[in-house]
Amino acid sequence: MIKRLLDWLKQPLGLIAVGIGFLALFSIAAYGLYLTQQPPAQPIQFPHKTHVAFGIQCLYCHPGASKGPAAGIPAPAKCWGCHQQIAKTQTSVLLAPLKDAVLSGTPIQWVPVAQVPDFVQFNHRAHIAAGKNCEDCHGDMTQVTIAQNPQVFNMGWCLNCHIQNAGEDQAKLVKLTDCGTCHY
Amino acid sequence: MSQQFSRRDFLKLAGVGAATTAILTGCGPASRYVKREPYMQMPEYNYNGQSTYYATTCRECAAGCGLIVRTMQGRALKTEGNANNPLNLGKTCARGQATLQGLYNPNRVQGPIKHGRGERLYDTFSNPYNDDIKNAPSNMSWDEATQAVADALKNNKPDEIAFLMGMAPDHLFDLVTDLANATGINAPVRFGALPMFEARATLTKAAGNLFGEARLPFFDVGGAQVVLSFGANFLETWISPVSYTRGFAGLREAQSKQRGKFIQLEARMSSTAAKADEWIPLRPGTEALVALAIGRLASELKGGPMPRAFASVDPLDAASRSGVKLATLQYIAGFFAGANGALAIPGGSALGQSNGLTVAEAVLALNAVADNFGKPGGVYFSPFAPNQTTYQSPASAKEMQDFIQKMADGKFKVLFVHGVNPVFELPASLGFKEALKGVGQVISFAIFPDETATESDYVFPDHHGLESWWYQRVATGSNQPVLSGAQPVVSPYYDTRATVDVLIAAAQLAGGAFATALPFKDEVEFLQSKIAPLMAETDGLFSAPEINTFMAYFQQYGGWWKASDGRGVPGTADVLSRNLDAAEAEFAGEGEFFLFPFVSPALAEAGANKPWLQELPDSTTTVMWNSWVETARELGLEDDDVVKIVSDAGELEVPVYRYPAIRPDTIAIPFGQGHTAYGRYAEKRGANPADLLIPHFNEAGDLAFAGVKVKIEKTGRKQPLSRLESIMGVYGVGLGEEQ
Amino acid sequence: MIRPDEVKMSAEETGKWGMVIDQDICTGCQACVAACAMENNISFVGEVDAGYGRSMHWIRIERFWEGEYPEVKMTSNQPMLCQQCGHANCEPVCPAFATVHSQAEQLNLQIYNRCVGTRYCANNCPYQVRSFNWRDYARPEPLSNQLNPDVTVRRRGVMEKCTFCIQRIHKAQDKAKSEGREVMDGEFTTACAQACPANAIVFGRVDDPESLVSQLARRSHGVKHLEELGTLPNVTYFKGG
Repeated sequence: MIKRLLDWLKQPLGLIAVGIGFLALFSIAAYGLYLTQQPPAQPIQFPHKTHVAFGIQCLYCHPGASKGPAAGIPAPAKCWGCHQQIAKTQTSVLLAPLKDAVLSGTPIQWVPVAQVPDFVQFNHRAHIAAGKNCEDCHGDMTQVTIAQNPQVFNMGWCLNCHIQNAGEDQAKLVKLTDCGTCHY
Repeated sequence: MSQQFSRRDFLKLAGVGAATTAILTGCGPASRYVKREPYMQMPEYNYNGQSTYYATTCRECAAGCGLIVRTMQGRALKTEGNANNPLNLGKTCARGQATLQGLYNPNRVQGPIKHGRGERLYDTFSNPYNDDIKNAPSNMSWDEATQAVADALKNNKPDEIAFLMGMAPDHLFDLVTDLANATGINAPVRFGALPMFEARATLTKAAGNLFGEARLPFFDVGGAQVVLSFGANFLETWISPVSYTRGFAGLREAQSKQRGKFIQLEARMSSTAAKADEWIPLRPGTEALVALAIGRLASELKGGPMPRAFASVDPLDAASRSGVKLATLQYIAGFFAGANGALAIPGGSALGQSNGLTVAEAVLALNAVADNFGKPGGVYFSPFAPNQTTYQSPASAKEMQDFIQKMADGKFKVLFVHGVNPVFELPASLGFKEALKGVGQVISFAIFPDETATESDYVFPDHHGLESWWYQRVATGSNQPVLSGAQPVVSPYYDTRATVDVLIAAAQLAGGAFATALPFKDEVEFLQSKIAPLMAETDGLFSAPEINTFMAYFQQYGGWWKASDGRGVPGTADVLSRNLDAAEAEFAGEGEFFLFPFVSPALAEAGANKPWLQELPDSTTTVMWNSWVETARELGLEDDDVVKIVSDAGELEVPVYRYPAIRPDTIAIPFGQGHTAYGRYAEKRGANPADLLIPHFNEAGDLAFAGVKVKIEKTGRKQPLSRLESIMGVYGVGLGEEQ
Repeated sequence: MIRPDEVKMSAEETGKWGMVIDQDICTGCQACVAACAMENNISFVGEVDAGYGRSMHWIRIERFWEGEYPEVKMTSNQPMLCQQCGHANCEPVCPAFATVHSQAEQLNLQIYNRCVGTRYCANNCPYQVRSFNWRDYARPEPLSNQLNPDVTVRRRGVMEKCTFCIQRIHKAQDKAKSEGREVMDGEFTTACAQACPANAIVFGRVDDPESLVSQLARRSHGVKHLEELGTLPNVTYFKGG
């Protein structure tokens, strides 16, 4: 049966079928790649740019970044501190999940977009202390609604910055390129 | 072409299609991202990604070691010792480390349950590691549960209500004691397998006979120069192992004096004896003889008149009957008499004999020869905990037998059980399980689905120790009087409720004397009422003018303790003038072997359901996940042979471990395995030596657990034991053969 | 094979972190083993796999027997863990460079995401302290609640071993740096040393002559295991007796 199939494929019609097959595979692969680049669905369409435009500092909602490893997602109680005084909160459809969460006491399940694999031990504090700004890694939050991941956090990208940062300081270079600095 | 397109080809294509779909879904956002739930209301002292540490107290045993628990985002991550607590000074044992595997155990009682006696509280299973094992769902509300407790209190006469409790927690014991005093219900009875195997009642009774005060002695191992231990396994589970281990370290690496010497006398080399300079395998039952003989020889060396206590013994006779050479006895006596700071400790298997009280008195009397009472490196009385003026003794096995008799006779209409698992811990021959039939209603407050909870009518689960408010009086181990305090470090994981809260609410519902006896809003208010008197003390760790501040400090430091040394000095007037009978112990049962049950150091009575405690190698045999019987190498048995061990009380089957350091006439079995319930990691694993024990007591009412003789029968089967050493090679086993 | 006299101790090879273990006071109580498992998210493997020698203890307590009954003695308990060799046998054999030497901390690292599971390193380790994840061992819910977020949870096919609690090293360094100072001796310690009721394990900087661990390591009766192989171990043992 295989031989008959190969014979059939050598005909012009068969060649076209092969071509269509390749195209289909290629588009499926492209679609797969496209999917990997999509930000995940969030429970609330949180507009970062609106909040930044009001002059709220990153560290107001994510204070953990200056203290330790995780920046943290604010508790609904923190959101409510401002939002309960904003009339729109009561009427807005987009804000309904926040209202529901606060009133019913069920936590909001956020989907963090900026994440590293679990074998990477990342510490925000050290990066802030080294003079990095939030937007260096997370992009310009005045432009985005839902947080998107502008930067693929892969190891080459991390290391480039580490090496650059170390400059001529040999001891610092050793420390910043040591496997055990991030992986344990 | 369609007729050539076979079913097989279709399946292939369909397979490719399914794989493509799987790969594409794998690329989608849903698979790459996780969900994160922030706090609803983050405590103000928390930071995202930062740990919060709470001081509390360990409830794996009743010693009362202070803990610092690392928590993050509402989860307990790690237990550490509380460096402030004078009992353990920042250290923990293996059981304290594994306490989180109890908190997050896959088999906990998840809410109040009413069920038929003997009904399982979780699914049956074949593979404990991978099976999906469901727990019995809660089938009643806490209001109904509280009402059930209230009815049990109200509808029965006070003397028909009994409480059986474990050695911890103390605050619940105090509450029930207050309730009993006010309403006339039976005073709570406390029992634990550890005090039973320590023969604690014998030790305190001997102290009472010799020193005029029945208190728990404290042995200052750290300050001694020579330590002579008769069966006291103080580096494993004996009374307060963390504190005694610190003492042992002090004995060995003392800065100001030379390295102390340590001699252990017992029939089987325990892991305590393994640390001794000399291990003397004496014949079980001759401990009194040997102690008296050493006393006599040491007194002769010291000179002066021979004390009456040692007058009746003949060292040569003692040597021949105990199997210890006279030269060895003289050598030990020489050491003991010559040392500046000699200490003799009675405990464990030496006291679990029919003449255990005499053994304890004889060994304590040795300390009079060394004249070490109330001196560094000697014998003290353990300090009373704050607010405590008398020693509270747990029930001995004999008292438990009386209790069981009352149960069987129908004297108790309702039995409350908390913090203890008597169906497993008591020897089966005492008949606790059968006697339950005589009790109208059994209400268990167990947090795990243990054997006793299974045999109850109701299970009203208490919080885990790390989810609870409580305190524990430190019975021994510290120079200072210590009250270890505990606070919840995480909120309750399941729909459990504090037993104190249940009893307070039930007492209010029951009304009358019950309501007036417990006039508290909740557990914390009760706890505050109990610690409030400490505010008047002057030499404490801290003080405060009012209770809320005091309570805040109490939580912050993990308890309250005095700054001063609270140890008592035993009255020694009449120690050496007693007549001590140098007879051998009597053994119960038929058979050629002495049975030597010992408490598994890692598992003890309640550790078997924690998987990492199961995976800890036993420190002498390196066996994991099972029980074994230690037999001498000469018996002609091979490793892993399953043998049947038969006593007059029962029988069990267990694989052999040929132990290089045990008398040929003795076999030893660890206590800790052999559960028939208690969760997936404990059940169907090993055997329980308590099944072999015969109701055979010593003069103090303690079980003569080391006074039983048994037979061994071969079964012809093999069951390989999982041992760590098999990969390291020892004595020609495993890899060692090739080397 | 490198002969000890050929080994030239450079400044880097003297090590940075080290440990002193007093076998004379180690009681074999297994508190360190349990503490290590709890701190480092070590899987339990169950009875059958444990019997095959696949248990994952990063630290184990060895003991051997000497003599025959009744003159039998158990040798001093010997806690055995990764010796964090300055010249480690595991490192040169890893084809994936997953077992590498940390230049910054002078530790033998095991990089889980690089490891492909050849197990050459475990074969080559003279101390037999490496353990391999033969399966994805089950950790039924809710046991995973106690997982330490500072330590990677390893999966099947990955080698693992003692890290000298490198997460604690980093945490202490990070804290010290945020306060503008150096890490102090005794400020933090490994999980095993922290738990040990006998205080038999002391951990600290061996390149600081003033640290407690350095002072102890200079005592005359300290030995290093299999030093003759030229591994330059960083754990010093005091034998018992």
